[in-house]
Amino acid sequence: MRTAMPGEAALDWRPGGRRLIRADAWRHGLWRHRWPLLFVSPFFILFAVFNIYPIGFSFWLSLNDWSGLGSMDWIGLDNYRELIHDSIFWNSMANSAIIFFIYVPVMTFMAAVLASILNGAFLKLQGLWRALIFLPNITSMVAAGYTFRLILDRDSGIANHALAWLHVSPVPWLDDIWWARISLGLLMIWAWLGYNTVIMLAGLQTIPSEVIEAARVDGATRVQAFFRITLPLLRPVIVFAVTLSIIGTFSMFTEPYVLTRGGPVNATDTPVQEIFSNTFEDLRFGYAAAMSYVYFAIIVVVTLAQFWFVSRSDPVK
Amino acid sequence: MSQDELTTDGNPIAGWFNGQLSRRELMRRMAVFGLAVPSVAALIEACGGSTATGQVHVPSSSTKGSLTIWGWKDSLEALKLQDADFTAAYPGISYTYVPRPPADTYRNLELAITAGSGGPDVALIEDSHLTAYVQLGAMADLTDLVGPYVDQIDSYKWDWTKKGSRYFAMPWDPGPVAVFYRRDVFQQAGVDPASMATWDDFHQAAQTIKEKTGLAMWQQSKARNDGRLFETLLWQQGTGYVDSKGHVILDKDPKVATTLEYINSFWQEGLAADQEAWTNPWYKAQTDGTTATVVDAVWMGTFFKSWIAPKANGKWGVFPLPAWKRGGSQASNDGGSALAIFDSSQQKEAAWAYVQFHLGRPASQLQIYEKTDIFPSLKATYKDPFFQEPDPYFGDETVRNTFAHIAELIPKAGIYSKDYAQMNTLLVPEIQKLALGQQSVQAALSNAAGLIRDKTHRA
Repeated sequence: MRTAMPGEAALDWRPGGRRLIRADAWRHGLWRHRWPLLFVSPFFILFAVFNIYPIGFSFWLSLNDWSGLGSMDWIGLDNYRELIHDSIFWNSMANSAIIFFIYVPVMTFMAAVLASILNGAFLKLQGLWRALIFLPNITSMVAAGYTFRLILDRDSGIANHALAWLHVSPVPWLDDIWWARISLGLLMIWAWLGYNTVIMLAGLQTIPSEVIEAARVDGATRVQAFFRITLPLLRPVIVFAVTLSIIGTFSMFTEPYVLTRGGPVNATDTPVQEIFSNTFEDLRFGYAAAMSYVYFAIIVVVTLAQFWFVSRSDPVK
Repeated sequence: MSQDELTTDGNPIAGWFNGQLSRRELMRRMAVFGLAVPSVAALIEACGGSTATGQVHVPSSSTKGSLTIWGWKDSLEALKLQDADFTAAYPGISYTYVPRPPADTYRNLELAITAGSGGPDVALIEDSHLTAYVQLGAMADLTDLVGPYVDQIDSYKWDWTKKGSRYFAMPWDPGPVAVFYRRDVFQQAGVDPASMATWDDFHQAAQTIKEKTGLAMWQQSKARNDGRLFETLLWQQGTGYVDSKGHVILDKDPKVATTLEYINSFWQEGLAADQEAWTNPWYKAQTDGTTATVVDAVWMGTFFKSWIAPKANGKWGVFPLPAWKRGGSQASNDGGSALAIFDSSQQKEAAWAYVQFHLGRPASQLQIYEKTDIFPSLKATYKDPFFQEPDPYFGDETVRNTFAHIAELIPKAGIYSKDYAQMNTLLVPEIQKLALGQQSVQAALSNAAGLIRDKTHRA
């Protein structure tokens, strides 16, 4: 125990006095910034009500058995235990991974190529091309999905009519396990290529043009310059785009729901479709909530693993 | 008038001794005899306390209410045909219709159930989905009110309105199934439709038709099969996903395997057209008459007439399903619907007045059938001369009578249950895999049965 020095705050001699002063300062600060805080508060209130609360509530839900009406039955980890053996859910996870490998490498590469073409000074009407490539991304996915379904219909779609004109036998676009996944990949590329191109384009604009010009002066062709200079320098942007694609592919819903309804033989069933059907068709809210949590955990792990893998093998470092 | 119809034959003493009367009903009947003086009524009310929850009382012409009725367009339009008469009988009841496609209606029902408010007073629900809502406890107990109708309506229709021995909905249309066939195709192949006594006969006819005309016997998608034909043929034999105890029997009942084997033989022998139901190629084959048969419920005939093949006057005919064994069942069901009263409704009397007036009177049901082709399940209507009239679209056959006969014979089967939608979703990919030649019938059934047991926690 020490005595208070002259001039020291009278409150401060008590144990925890510092904390009290801090709380005072905190309160004082709140008051001083009341107007700015008031003006930013709507976002935080809405965020708490519509995001934080549902996230917490669905965790609670995942520990219960609930059909949407009547009482919730506490069942602890039973939903999670059941989920471990749910072949349909794991199949939907596997589908997402397969579909990811079908379209993301192709789409990312196409986006990089398109972006470097659009970035080139030699191209006229740049704004028009950029708008055209981005346009599918702002088209309603439901409308696009139905259109793709009509185009890809085995018997009456124009895709097979065009192939017949070229003397190619018809393709069972939506009637075969693998073709259905490829068709879904085509729809994803159509819808998301523009978006990825814009990301790449932003990345390209940070690369000084001198680097590529120097390579060209040294005798590199355009193709060589693209593969040896542009792509390596674009690497962080590509990693970013692929990360978004991982999250996007695992959370696909509208695209397969409209195009294939998850079929045939569940080949294009995705985790979010499973969560949706368990919630709204089977009325198993608790089980679907457990599914959401496991699904979220897997996406976090995959994304972190990708970051780790990429940063470890970064040649620039 | 409506009250008289509620009690059997308008006789106030009917059901007097059966002990099934609600207190209000008892009061009402006592009133008929001038027995119920106010003090007695008050005494009974006081001793009895509040009425049982969910119990609905008999409405009278002075009943007031403002009802909200959910359903889908075609059926609501049919109900509207009775509105003028209904308003005359119950001037104090007004109503609003909320038409949405079935899937949207169900989403909204589920949201209203989960939220505990915002539901309708009366909801139109398909039989395939009804049990799920009844089991949830979302519907009002109508046991005392539908009592008089139990014997008057096709008996199988009551199965999914019940929870235990209580009733929670009023049946509307049944879905009696028959074979729609193209007369010209059968004629060209030299096949007599009257000779289709068994499914073996049907299979032989399919081979002859394929040989003579090159056309497929029926339309069954492989990769996008919906399992409906399989369910229909199981229903015909009184079997299905589950037995009467609710245990999964897909992999246990030999009739199930025989049925899937039969459907599979059509794929293997090229007797089925690979067209997904409810898509353009499927419609087109029906419009052009390039499918020999369509095995479907009575409502399919309505679709043919109105929009699929309106120009095919006299081209289509109807015969009952062939039997699996000579002399066996030839009746099956696909679809059908009912009206239920939401338990959260504050105007159950008015709601019941509406349901009873529209579904419980032969006059209403006949008019709806004549105008909209929605088939009645109220058996009294089948005796009307309208059912004996030849139908020119079907080559002057008396098809209404054929379907009425089938409707009365539909067996009880384990197809629709509270888990129906889920069971169908789990079965369908296994059928698709079979159709694509990637697994055997046995594997398809044991996989589906295993998944259904896991997911629905059944034995």
